[in-house]
Amino acid sequence: MAEHRDLRDLIGDDVEPEELERLERVHALLEQAGPPPELPPSLVHAAEPPSAKVIPFPRRYRYTAIAAAAIAAVALFGIGYLAAGGPDEKPVETLAMRGESGASAQLAVFAKDHAGNWPMELQVSGLAPGSYELWLTRDGELAAPCGGFLVAGDETTVPLNAPFKLNEFDGWVVVPVGGDERVLTT
Amino acid sequence: MTTDARTDEELLADVAGGDQIAFEELHRRYARSVLGIALRRIGDRGRAEDATQDTFASIWRSASRFDPARGEATSWLYTVARNAIVDGLRRRREPPVDDAPEMAAPGPGPDDAAEQSWVAWRVHRALEVLPEQERSLVELAYWGGLSQSEIADYLSIPLGTVKTRTRSALSRLADELDGEL
Repeated sequence: MAEHRDLRDLIGDDVEPEELERLERVHALLEQAGPPPELPPSLVHAAEPPSAKVIPFPRRYRYTAIAAAAIAAVALFGIGYLAAGGPDEKPVETLAMRGESGASAQLAVFAKDHAGNWPMELQVSGLAPGSYELWLTRDGELAAPCGGFLVAGDETTVPLNAPFKLNEFDGWVVVPVGGDERVLTT
Repeated sequence: MTTDARTDEELLADVAGGDQIAFEELHRRYARSVLGIALRRIGDRGRAEDATQDTFASIWRSASRFDPARGEATSWLYTVARNAIVDGLRRRREPPVDDAPEMAAPGPGPDDAAEQSWVAWRVHRALEVLPEQERSLVELAYWGGLSQSEIADYLSIPLGTVKTRTRSALSRLADELDGEL
């Protein structure tokens, strides 16, 4: 934390009161934020963006490949359609969450994918603006994070994911980022 | 100093289209902010640097999901950064430093910590819009442990110029941080 500096020492006395008030607020934010870290050489420039390596088919195989891809796409769509039970993906479970301050949420949990991810959609209302995280709990303790989100208005809907075995946990909670105060619980 | 006139929102849209120059500019604007929250969250510098790389890889992959109608780019980038940092910790099966419930908390409480993280994110991002000479002057004045007279000696410029530039820098930051004031 930086030592407290007097703003007038930094900028002099010849400042209009209105401007001084504005600069005082910036001054306070700078002291609150603390110094930004120095970047190591490895972070001075962006790393090469990850990209898929494209290996072109020889021309004589292109039409065969396109036909094969089309057949595979139709087959996969059919399998997916049947597995999902229809055109609309519906949640396998919808949980209500409540908070002491009158905030509430609905957590829709969709079917697990082949890798073990449980896609979710969290619809929150009544939370104070800020940044929050959804956690799975075990024995009432925060046990596994399921992602963060920001609240800026009355209602927020965000997609989240739980890459865990859900039967190993006993509930969900929403906490402020960096904290463990439960603002919403199932 | 910002050399690219595009807004963060425009840069994200261009990154979504595969624009590597836009990606480099976003990295220039946000690398220190991302590393800052990674250090707050993780503590260890090496792992925080890895988390910063992970964050930018995540931004590259998910830029197309940014919807300007739902909020500012800086808020979206903050969320992506926090998620990438937590995901990295989860992959390594390590609890985040500032989330571990059993940790003693000698500093600010959880709400304060979250707010400080956000304030640091915004302020460090705002510093990147300053011309280099103003930015280094602010950093010397606030975190370099030097008085204005010592800064004047160090930079070989008159004391009055140091104060004028500091005022100019703070005014520019006030414009940039308008929503926070």
